[in-house]
Order: sequence, then C-alpha cells, then structure tokens
Amino acid sequence: MEFSGIFWGVIGWMIFWGVTGSIVSRRVYLHKDLDTSNTGLVGSMLGAATGPVGLAFLWMKTPEITTRMMLFPSLATVAVFMLTFSISDPGNLCVTNGSFVASQISNGLIIGIIYGFMALGLTLIFSILGVVSFAHGEFYMIGGMITYFFTTVWFPELGPIVGILAACISTFILGAVFERVFLTPMYTGKVDRPVEYGILITFGLAFTLQYFIQATVGANPVKAKRFFDFPKVRLPSAEDPWLIKTSRGNMELFDTISISNPRFTAAVMCILVFLALMYFLRRTWTGKALRAVSLDRDAAAIAGINPNKMNMLAFALGSMIAALAGAMLVQAFSWLPQVGAIPAMRSFVIVVLGGLGSIPGAFLGGVIVGLVEAAGTGCIPNAQKAASYIPAYGMIVLTLTLLLRPTGLLGRKYASGTHGKV
Amino acid sequence: MKKIVSVVGIAAAITLSLSATSANAASCPIKIGGLAPLSAPGAVGGGEAMRDAMMFAERDINAAGGVLGCKIKVVIADTEGLPEKAAGIMEKLITQDGVVAVGGAYHSSVGVASKDISNARKIPTVFAETWNDTITGDKQKYIFRIAPLSSWASGTIWKSALLTPGLKKVAIITENTDYGIPAAEETAKGLASGNVDSTTFGVDIGTQDFSGIIERVKATNPGYIIVLNTGEAGYNFAQQAADAGIGPQDLPFQAGQVALESKAWWENVPDGNMAFVQRIGTPVSLWNAKAIKLNEDYKAKTGKGAIESYALEAYDSIGILAQAMIEAKSTDGDKIVTALENISYDGTLGRIYFPYGTKKDPSADGKGDEWWHQWPDVALTMIQYQKEGQDSTDSPIVWPDAYKSGEAIYVK
Repeated sequence: MEFSGIFWGVIGWMIFWGVTGSIVSRRVYLHKDLDTSNTGLVGSMLGAATGPVGLAFLWMKTPEITTRMMLFPSLATVAVFMLTFSISDPGNLCVTNGSFVASQISNGLIIGIIYGFMALGLTLIFSILGVVSFAHGEFYMIGGMITYFFTTVWFPELGPIVGILAACISTFILGAVFERVFLTPMYTGKVDRPVEYGILITFGLAFTLQYFIQATVGANPVKAKRFFDFPKVRLPSAEDPWLIKTSRGNMELFDTISISNPRFTAAVMCILVFLALMYFLRRTWTGKALRAVSLDRDAAAIAGINPNKMNMLAFALGSMIAALAGAMLVQAFSWLPQVGAIPAMRSFVIVVLGGLGSIPGAFLGGVIVGLVEAAGTGCIPNAQKAASYIPAYGMIVLTLTLLLRPTGLLGRKYASGTHGKV
Repeated sequence: MKKIVSVVGIAAAITLSLSATSANAASCPIKIGGLAPLSAPGAVGGGEAMRDAMMFAERDINAAGGVLGCKIKVVIADTEGLPEKAAGIMEKLITQDGVVAVGGAYHSSVGVASKDISNARKIPTVFAETWNDTITGDKQKYIFRIAPLSSWASGTIWKSALLTPGLKKVAIITENTDYGIPAAEETAKGLASGNVDSTTFGVDIGTQDFSGIIERVKATNPGYIIVLNTGEAGYNFAQQAADAGIGPQDLPFQAGQVALESKAWWENVPDGNMAFVQRIGTPVSLWNAKAIKLNEDYKAKTGKGAIESYALEAYDSIGILAQAMIEAKSTDGDKIVTALENISYDGTLGRIYFPYGTKKDPSADGKGDEWWHQWPDVALTMIQYQKEGQDSTDSPIVWPDAYKSGEAIYVK
C-alpha cells in the first residue's frame, strides 16, 4: 500500500467516531425515552461515515430510526472506506483495473448465491425446529457423492438431472427418517435438555455420515463430469465477440467478466430453486403452515396444523437443499467425505449474519459474504496473504453485524429459540 | 541355611529368566510407526499410497524372516496432514502403541511438528516425503530423511521453468504450510536469479474455491504457473484455472505433486493435459528389481497404472529401519541411529546411505546443516503429461538431461 498512513489514519478516525456514535446515540435516545433497538447501528455507521457532523445532527434531532436510516449510513460507510482505500493504494488492481473489479464482483455474486442457497436449508431447519443442524455439511457432501456416482460411475448415459434428482430424493428421505427417529424425543419431553440434545444428535449424524462414506467410498477426491458444455457462442460477431464469448467450460462477457461453466450452472439452479422455495413457502398451504409454525407453534396447532409433521418436512427439506447445493457443485470442486466442513461453517456464519430463521436474510447474507470474500481476495495488497484470510472475511462481517445488530440483518428478535417456544 | 539361600537364588534366577523371556515375547512383533495422511485436508491419495507401500514393506520383511527373530508390525497412523494432529499421533505411537521407530510421513508440517517428540523420546524416525529443510537442519540425533530437501526440489522447479522460451513472469500458488512457504520463497529466489519475476499467492491447505485468486493470477499475466499445493486443493486450482483459460493447455503449468496420482488427476482435472509435474525417484527405465517387483504387487492391489514416488519412499523408510535394527542387533534407539549412520541399504529408490551425522558434521565438507542425516542421491525429475489419460510413469521426463526421455511441449 503506497500511503498506508492515510489509510490507517482514516480507519482510526472511522472507528473512533463509530464507537462514539454507537455508545452516545443509545444514551441520547434512552435519555429522551425513545426506542433504542437500532441506535447502535445507526450511530456507529453515521459516525464512521460522517464523523461528528452527522452525529451532532442525529443527537439533536433524534429522528425515528427507519430502515432507510440504517441503510444509507451503512452504504456511506462502505463508500468512505472504498474511497480511502483507492486514495491510499492508487496502484491496486481494484482501483486501476475495471475489468478485474467486474470479474471479482461477478465471482463474489455467483459464489455468494451458492453460499446463500446452502444456508437456506440451515435457516429453514432452525426456524421450525429450533435446532442448528450440525449435519448440514454432510448432507451437502452426500448430495455431491450421489450425483457423482449417478452421473459418472453408474449411469453416465442418463444425464445429470437423474443424478440430481436421486440426490434430492435420497437426502429428503434420509432427513425425514432421521427427524422421526432421533429428533422426536425433543418434542415429547423425553429429554431434559432438548436444545443440547438437538446439537449432539446432529453432531452424531454428521460423524456417522462422514465416516460411513469414507469407509464405503474411500477418501480419494472424486469429481463429476461437467453437466454440459457451453455451446459455442460469439456475439455480436465471430471476429469481435466483445459481448459474449463461450468455450466449453467458460463464458466471457464484455471481454472482461469470466464465468466458469459449473459455477454458472450452480448459481442459475440455486436462483431457480430459491424462487420455487419462496413460492412454496408463500403461496401454498403447506408452505404457509411451515411459516406459521416458525412464528408460533401453539397458535399454528390451534389452527389445525400438525407442528410435528412440519418439523419432519422442514428437516427433510433443509437437508435436501444442502444436498442440492452439493449436487450442483460436485462438478466444480473435488469431492471428499470431509468436503462439507468448510461450507457448513460458512453457512452458520451466513445464517447468523442474515438473521436466524430468515430465509431472505440467509440469501442476502450469502451474497454479502461472497462479495466480501471476493473483495478481500482481490484487493488486499499482499498477494501471498489475500487468499489466506478468506475464512476470516466472513467472520469479520459477522462480528461487526452482531456487535451492531445482534438479531442479524433481517432476523426477528425472537426466532424460534428453544424449539419454537419463546 | 545354605540350602535356603540356594533355593531362593535358584527361584530368583528362574523368576528373572522368566521375566526376561516374557519381555522378549512382549517385544514381538516389533512395532514400527507409519505416518500417512488418510483424511482431508491431508493429501489422502498420497497417504493411501504410502500406507499400501508400508504394508508391502511389512509383508516383505516378514517373508524374509523378520527382524531379530520377530515379525514386524507397521502401525499406521493418520496425520490428516495437520501439524497439531501429527504431534499427538507421534506421542500416541510411542507411548501407547510402543513403536521402536517411525517411518513414512507426507507433509512437511507433519514432520516439523512431530520430529521433536520422536527425538526427545529417542525413537529413530526416517521421514519419507517431508521436504522442509529444517527437518534435518535442526541436526537432531534420531531424525533421518530419504526425501529431497525443499531447496533441492525447488531447484528442479525453477530450473526447469527457466527453460521456457521467452519467460518473463511466473505466478506461484502455494499453501501456507511448512512445505509451501519455504518452497515458494526458494522458487522465487531461483527464478529471480534467471531474471524472471514472480508473484506468490498463498492459500489455506483445504481451499476449494480459487475463483478470486485466479482472477488475480490472470491480472499478473504470467507466462508460467507453478502450483505448490498438496491434497485436493491442487486439483481444484488446476481445473478452475483451466476453466478460466489459464490451465495447463493455455500456458506452461506445473501442477502439484498430487498430479502424479494419474487416475485421480484425470478425473479431477479433465483439462489437465500438458501439465508439468515434479517426480521424485529414478525413472521407471532405471528401476531396480526391488522396485519392479513392488510396482507389480502395488498395481495388482490398487489397480493403478504404476506406483507413485512417495509410495516407494514410504516402502524404503520402513525397509531401512528394519535393516538398521538387524545390523544393530537391537531395537534400542541409540544403536539403531548408529546403524543408520553406517548403513548402505539397497532400496527401491537405489542405494540409501547417510554421509553426515554424529560421525561427520556436514560443515566438514562445507555443507549446510540440512544435510545432516539426509540421503544425498535423491533423483529429481520433471515429467509432462502429453496425452490425455496418460499415466505419470509413462509420461516423458523433460528435465534434467541426465534422465530426459522426451522434449517439453510449451503451449501458448
């Protein structure tokens, strides 16, 4: 970094006014007997972005805190950070090379969509059952393994759809059976500590699945063949394909943005399934019943919904979503019995970041983590360290979010908790 | 009184002889530890190959009469390629399993983390595939190595890279481990000596998604890519780079050691043709009878095209320890070390010996400390896959000239 003094000076200034804004704003609002629930976030972001000027305005006027009031200072803080970075390191690729930035953003978006999709399953399970499934990564792994065997080993002539469907059906059934056999003691009062029981039993399932696959399949990395090759497209002309140019495994847009085939397929599938899931949850009776149980189990039961059946459905559906993410990515990454560990950990981060139990929050959280990881990998000046910190980027965002907004981005104040009872 | 004394004396003698017999019985079979990464994030393919080879070593040694009248038993321990795991594993092998020596090991970080423990407990250890210079550079009495030094291996990498016509810039992708970091530094230094710039990109050992870093690599416009990742990360980077247009078929590309596992390489990196790979050990055409026999057994068991170099090293690490015990006529750590320092073992890799140690310090010949208990004659070659689906042992050796069996093809 060319002018690191400027960068760290401004960061220090932002932190100082951010912390001051967070602490003092809450006290000012409390003093005036106003709602203080989001004062920490607004105070800190306004302080970081505008320093004492914006804070003085906030403390004098103490306006009601709306979503817009949270959003704009947050965006302004990001903008100030980016401006400072570009002034401090004018030779950085993220400052000088527009196509590089566009590629990193598209990469971040695509991987973020996939992250968010995988986290959907986890948040769905949590919102209904109040259980954090520690076997989520293993369902992801199994989804990929089943797809690999169907598409590459057993029935390579059948095409990928059969393999993906097989992965979805198998994991749906596995999830449903597991929920019926092992999680029902939580609801019937057979265990003293249902939350701890839920954690331990899903941990047990995770180990069982992982070592079962290792014992039966082996621990060598495998990979499914690309589901399909991109057709050869060159637009607007074959001589000057500045708009779009494809090869078997890659697509290039505007001569700048490069998207690999497996990633593109996975992201498109994730978006389609996300939309289908949203339709299912908002437009169908069963989906509404699931949401009702996540809001209030007792009220849902009074309305004629069987919460226990919804538990089973949620766990099966959540497990299937993880498996579907795995099924789509087994053509992109080398696959091992332990492949689910990192995505599962990332899903936990995303779910908490997006707000426990919030499906749009999980998706938004995934996209944010994807973009932050891409920005960190692309922009940190030291190339040797930029990619080494990938797991830390999400954790930094999570820590900041939890400090300023403990419910996460779109989370409810009381999201399920002790098995749906608040 | 005399009678009582003599009866007590005889009883004591019988008790002592019985206990000595039972001590001998308890020490059979003689246990030798075998370190290998058998779970992720370690290089599982490499670990399984080493495990199989060490079991073959056990079989062959026992078939030849065993050691000191006992059969030997190789106790395989899974390091997962993690240093924190390796230290515990070494402790367990010594204190719980009762091994008298240790062989194997794939990752340098595992060697670095576990060597102090075996040295402190006076257990001779012959590291098979750990390259970090400090493993022998610390000049520990009980630590030996038959793998190349990291600095030698890096020499193969940068010297062969410098042969690329018109090379100006190199991108080095490395893992942040005790192997990857020094290997990248030495490679960069070597490239600089040939007036070639390089940029090093560090990643964690289990990294799956390289999309961000690949864009950054592309932006440096390299003329050659060197991958120093072990485990499945090596496959992930190579195929994702190929998807992004900077793979082995787009520009000269030196893949990580995992590429030697041909079957897994072609499955995980279908666009991996033209990749260069560093290979340890003499070329197949120069293999001795022992290596040829092991190769046949190994192929029959695993269904692979040929045995990997790290499997040969693992086999020899057990074999040399067994021979040292026979020559020492003991399983005592100090006596085994003395035997190893004087050994001349005909292994699958060739004649193995250790010219420097307590008898003669490396400095006596102007060598660095890393030459301590280090086999000096490791053959290092660079091969290139030149046909899709080709086996690594069938691929032409393109460097050095002494072993060359084909010309390098420089794509682009």
